[in-house]
Amino acid sequence: MSDQDLVVETVRDVLAGHEPLLLSAERPWDEGLWTALAEAGLTGVGLPEEAGGSGGELADAVAVVRTLAAGAGAVPVAEQLLVAAPALLAADLDLPAPEEPLTIAVDGAVTAEPSDDGDGPGRFTLTGTAVDVPWAGVARHVAVLATPPAGIEGAVLAVVDTAGLDASRAVNLAGEPRGSLVLDGVGVPGALLGPAQAGMVRARYALARAVQISAALEQVLAWTVQYAGERVQFGRPLGKFQAIQMELAQMAGEVTSTAALVDAAVQALDRGEDTVVLAAAAAKVRAGAAVEVVAKLAHQVHGAIGFTQEYRLHHLTRRCWSWRDEGGTELAWSRTLGAGLVAAGGDDLWPALTRVV
Amino acid sequence: MSSNSLTLAPAPPSEAAEQVRLEVRQFLAEELAAGTFSTHVDTWLSGVDPEFSRKLGARGWLGMTWPRQYGGHERTAMERYAVTEELLAAGAPVAAHWIADRQSGPNLLRYGTEEQRKDILPRIAAGECYFVIGMSEPDSGSDLASIRTRATRDGDGDFVVNGAKVWTSNAHHSHYGIVLVRTGPPGEGPRGKHQGLTQLLVDLSLPGITINPIRILDGGHHFNEVVFDDVVVPAGMLLGTEGAGWHQVTAELAFERSGPERFLSTWPLLAEFGRRAAATGDPAQLATLGRLSARALALRQLSLRIAAALDRGELPDIPAALVKDVGTTFEQDVVDEVRRVVDVVPSLDSPDPLGRALAEAQLHAPGYTLRGGTNEILRGIVARGLGLR
Repeated sequence: MSDQDLVVETVRDVLAGHEPLLLSAERPWDEGLWTALAEAGLTGVGLPEEAGGSGGELADAVAVVRTLAAGAGAVPVAEQLLVAAPALLAADLDLPAPEEPLTIAVDGAVTAEPSDDGDGPGRFTLTGTAVDVPWAGVARHVAVLATPPAGIEGAVLAVVDTAGLDASRAVNLAGEPRGSLVLDGVGVPGALLGPAQAGMVRARYALARAVQISAALEQVLAWTVQYAGERVQFGRPLGKFQAIQMELAQMAGEVTSTAALVDAAVQALDRGEDTVVLAAAAAKVRAGAAVEVVAKLAHQVHGAIGFTQEYRLHHLTRRCWSWRDEGGTELAWSRTLGAGLVAAGGDDLWPALTRVV
Repeated sequence: MSSNSLTLAPAPPSEAAEQVRLEVRQFLAEELAAGTFSTHVDTWLSGVDPEFSRKLGARGWLGMTWPRQYGGHERTAMERYAVTEELLAAGAPVAAHWIADRQSGPNLLRYGTEEQRKDILPRIAAGECYFVIGMSEPDSGSDLASIRTRATRDGDGDFVVNGAKVWTSNAHHSHYGIVLVRTGPPGEGPRGKHQGLTQLLVDLSLPGITINPIRILDGGHHFNEVVFDDVVVPAGMLLGTEGAGWHQVTAELAFERSGPERFLSTWPLLAEFGRRAAATGDPAQLATLGRLSARALALRQLSLRIAAALDRGELPDIPAALVKDVGTTFEQDVVDEVRRVVDVVPSLDSPDPLGRALAEAQLHAPGYTLRGGTNEILRGIVARGLGLR
C-alpha cells in the first residue's frame, strides 16, 4: 500500500461517520469532521514537521483533499493544505497550528503598510475588505494577499487571526461560507512577495479548486454509473439504454480528461516549474468545462430524485458549480492562459503549449 | 474510477522524446523556410507528398519503434509520439505514409510472416511504401462484421477476392491494402458474425482491382472505392490467422484511434487563430484561445499516457476509444469556437490565412468524428469500460 493509499484510507475512515451536511447559517461547516481530521493529524499532511505539520509530500496532501472533496466534507482542508499553508511557508512566515482552520483571501481591496522597517518577514497594518473569503467566519486564521505600499510591485502576504473580527455571511451555491472580512488597521505579521510569488498564490488557489472538482466529478460519474445500473425503467436498467450509455461515456471522457490534466499540473507544481501558473490555469479551465457537461448529464440520468435535497448528488454538483468560478473565474483564467500562450509572439502557440505541462 | 479500464498511469517525462521533438521542429522550420511544403489543416488525410515521406524516412522518423532487423529504429512510443505531434502541429504533408507507419506496419509486426515483414517493413520505414485500410464497405459502415467482400480458395490454395471497399484513403497513391474479407460462414449467437473473417495483404497493382475516386466536400480526392473482381491473392499473403480477422482488426484499431492525429487535425487553424488573438489582444479571442488550449492540453496528457502504455506493452483499446471521442469532438469544436469570435468569412480563396484555415477545417470537419469509428461506436466501447455492457 502506498503512502497515498494509506492517507486515503484514513480519511475515508474518518469520513465514514460523517454524512455530507446540508449547510445553513447555523451550521456553516462540519466542525465534528474537522476535529476528527485534526486529531488524526490529517490537517497537517504535506506540511513539514518542523513547521508544525504532519510531514509527507504534496501528493499526500492532494490525496487528502481529493478524498474530502469526493465526500463533500465541509471543511477548509483544500484552502489550508494546498494554498494558505504552502504560501506562508514559501514566504518564511510562521504557520498557525494545523489543528486550527486556516484559509486564504486573495480578492478585495486590502492595503498593507509596513509597521516596522525590517527586511523579509515583518509586520504590516492591513486596512480594507477582503471579499469572497472561503470559510469566512469559520477559519481561525486567514492568509491575506494585500496590495503593497505605493511604488512596490507584487503583494503583501499577511496572516490574520480572525478572533474578534466580523465576517459577513454569504454563501456559494453549495451553501459554503464565502463572506467578506473587514480589516480596520489590523497589525499582523506578513511578507512582501514579488509579482511572480503573488501569482503563485493565486495559481495554487485555482489548482486546489481544480483538484477538488476533478475528485468530485469522478465521484459523480461513479454514482451515476451505479444509479444507471440499479434503476429499472421500461423493464431494464437505465444503463442498458444506448442513449444513457452515450451520456455516461461522454461524462467519462470529461472526467478522464480533467483528471489527466489536473494530475499533470500538480506534478508541475511539485517540480516547481515556472510554467505552473499556466498549468494551473489550464487545469482550472478544463475542470470548469467538465463541470458543464458532467453535472448536467448526471442530473439528467438521475431524473427527478437527483434534483432533490434528500439525494446525495447535489452535495457535489452544487459545489462544482461554485468551485469552477472560485479562485479566479473560468473566464479570467481562460484569458490568462490564452494571453500567456502567445505572450512570446503569436507564431509560437504550439511550442508554448508543449512547455506548459 | 481508479479501478476501471479507462484509467491509465501517468506518463513519465522522457528526455529522449523532448530531444527528438526539437530535432523535428528544427527540420520543419527549415523545410517551411525552403518552401518545400505549406501548412494546411488535416494533412494526415490530404497532404500526400512522397518526397517529404522519404525525407522523414531518411531521418529515422518512420517505423521508429520497430526492430532494427525490419528497418526500424527501436525507439520508444513516447519518442514516436513527439515526432507525430510535431508533424501534425505544423500541418506537414504526411498522408502518403501515415497509415502504413501508424497501423499497417505494427499490424505486420504482430501478425505478419517473416517473409512479409522482411519484404515490406523496411520499405515503409524508408517512406517508400504506402498502405490503405480495407475495412469499410458501402453497406457496412461501422458495422464491420457485416462486410460482404469474400475470398475463396482456388485449386492452388490462393485467395480469390470479390467485393468492394470504400473510404479507402489514398488508395490511388498506395502499394498495399490490408483487406478484411469473409472466408468462412458466420457462427451462431450475437458475436457469431465475428467468426469467419480474415485479413489479406493485397498488392493494389494486382489484375482485377479497380480504384474509383470519391471526392470529399472540398473537392479533394483522398477517398476511393476499391473494387475486387476475381482478384487472385497468393496464399502467402494471408495476414495472421485465417478466421481470426475480427480479433486482429480490433487490435489494429487501438493503433488507429490512439494517436495525436485525433485531436490535432485542426491545429493549423488554432495556430492561425493564436496569431490573430495575439495581434488583436481581444479579450474574447484570448479567452477562447485559453479554453481551447486547456482542452488540447488535457488531450495531450491522455495521449501521452497511451503512448506510455504502448511502451509498457499494453494495448489500451478502451482508453484509445475515449481519447478519439473526446479528441475529434474537440477538433470540430475548434471550428465553431473560432468562428464565433473572429470577423472572418471562411473561403479556400481567402487572402486571409485565417479565412483559408477556417474553410479547410470546416469542409473537413464532418469526417473527424466518423473515420476510425464513429463517436457513437466509440462511446459504446467506453460504456463497456464503465461496466455497462
